[in-house]
Amino acid sequence: MIKISDLVSDDAAYISRRAWSDPAVYQLEKHGVFGKAWLFLGHETQIKHPGDFVQAYMCETPIILARGEDNKIYANINSCSHRGLPVCRADHGNTKRFVCPYHNWSYKVDGSLVAIPQEKMVSQKPDKNTLGLKPVPRVESWQGMIFGSFDESIEPLDSYLGDMRFYLDAFFDRFENGIEFAGAPHRWTINANWKLPMENQLGDVNHGPFLHSAVIPAEANQEIFDVGLSAVPHPGHGATFRLMPEGTPNENMAWGMEGMGAILGGSEVKEYLFEIQAKAKERVGDIRARMKGLTYGVYPNLSFLWSNTSFKVSHPRGPGKVEYWSWSAIPADAPDSVKKILRTNYSSFFGPGGILEQEDSEAWMQQFIGSNIDFADDKPYYYGLGMGDEKPHPELPGMVSSTANEYYARAFFKRWREALESVSDQDANRIALAEVR
Amino acid sequence: MSAQLKRIEQQFAIEQFYYREARMLDNRQYQQWFALVTESISYVMPSRVNKLVDNRLRGKEEMISIEKELERSDDMGSPIREEGYAHLFVRVDRAYKANSWAENPPARTRRIVGNVEILSVEENTYRVTSNFHLFFARPGSDNFIYSGQRNDRLIVDGDSFKIDAREVIMDYANIDVPTLGLLF
Repeated sequence: MIKISDLVSDDAAYISRRAWSDPAVYQLEKHGVFGKAWLFLGHETQIKHPGDFVQAYMCETPIILARGEDNKIYANINSCSHRGLPVCRADHGNTKRFVCPYHNWSYKVDGSLVAIPQEKMVSQKPDKNTLGLKPVPRVESWQGMIFGSFDESIEPLDSYLGDMRFYLDAFFDRFENGIEFAGAPHRWTINANWKLPMENQLGDVNHGPFLHSAVIPAEANQEIFDVGLSAVPHPGHGATFRLMPEGTPNENMAWGMEGMGAILGGSEVKEYLFEIQAKAKERVGDIRARMKGLTYGVYPNLSFLWSNTSFKVSHPRGPGKVEYWSWSAIPADAPDSVKKILRTNYSSFFGPGGILEQEDSEAWMQQFIGSNIDFADDKPYYYGLGMGDEKPHPELPGMVSSTANEYYARAFFKRWREALESVSDQDANRIALAEVR
Repeated sequence: MSAQLKRIEQQFAIEQFYYREARMLDNRQYQQWFALVTESISYVMPSRVNKLVDNRLRGKEEMISIEKELERSDDMGSPIREEGYAHLFVRVDRAYKANSWAENPPARTRRIVGNVEILSVEENTYRVTSNFHLFFARPGSDNFIYSGQRNDRLIVDGDSFKIDAREVIMDYANIDVPTLGLLF
């Protein structure tokens, strides 16, 4: 038995290896973290028309996210009320009915049960009103981003995101007609704990000059050293970006210009990106127009890689496996020719075929191996870099510091510890570890 | 090599080219391999999705056609890779740096290329499809099998060929390999 407080030290400068690897910890995470948070489901542009649906996950729970005949958004658990099979087997599409293959119980896309074929052969008719798919109790959207929560009494999404909206809007509000997700998500499994991909994007840009030094040029890293900032608007959320000095030329400032797509894509895409940047000051204000984004995280498992414009979700599949989803995000009103180039800003470096991400996923797998080794429980991981360097900023919300400060991670783990304590044995806050090692 | 080569000679030449290419890649001679591609190369890996079956197509081959599962370069979806000469250069260049950590130490690979079919020959341009299985053993990790198809456009180059376009269709349902960023 160990105390939950032993997983994360009071100042969060030490994080136990068990926090990453223990099955008992993972069970608490399911309820304490994923059962009580807003979890990202999808983007409204993926389900534009009545009958459109996409699959999603909330932790390990399969979800159908759909637009109903009434044009409203519905999220239901993808499991038949009769025998539990998934009623939706496609990744996305448009349909009038989800039909369970086993006995053909069928449901509308809003989750209501409309047909039980066996009904006519039995005398006592089941009450179909009580036998719909299980709905996700809370579903809310912000800037087209749809989230769901299993916690009926959770605070509204707006206040949950809080000042994180300031940083997200620095990107979203640049585009008159918002953004859209290109195609289906890339989904791949990695033998790693879900928190490390999350932490990687939440604020850990400082691994870039080291893990990725084979590919990222030294000048790009120097820019992060010189003008990079790490902001934590609320514990668990985080935003990293470069705050470019006034008068920085468009080539070095405009969103999208650092991706392979834009670099190789010719004059059309360049002109498009400069046009977006030219309007940025008017649309998002001076300071946010000078923000050249790096990585963002929204508690507990949504990431936004602004520099390569990808949203990612780290879906746990046990303590040692993650199903990582990522989408390319592109301006909704860009010409198709520009969209096709901008999506490669993501795919060249990130996603399952990305030149950079292959290094990350390898590091995440090796960290999980390190988190499982014997005779090292008394050697927790050190998270104390930059302790106390975070300060309020005159123009930016939250606590702000250099990107080497690991405050973003300490804040995340303090929130995480509280989340676990809130669902554990209230008397002892102790958990039985799965096995001795 | 002339365009008048008899069919069997063409087949032999193409197969020999693929075997040589596979040997270079398995021997990690990526710089030599890079000389086998044109500067205008298009190197694409579509993504593969699970589509809703269209009931109106039942009874027809089209209902379950592989085409429907692919998000290709021409579509507005999200292919896994859409690369050109510069991207491949970065990949090749990276392989010979000590800090390309995912390949340090490097994976052991073995490719078997087969089912080589010449689909068309027009002047100096060959359209060829082939299948591959690739064994991949990463130190400190695990062993993996990659399976896929390559749709190539090859250009005659003296006694050999150059790859001008390659579309790699992977057979994954769930991506459970460490990276799809290899040279296939």
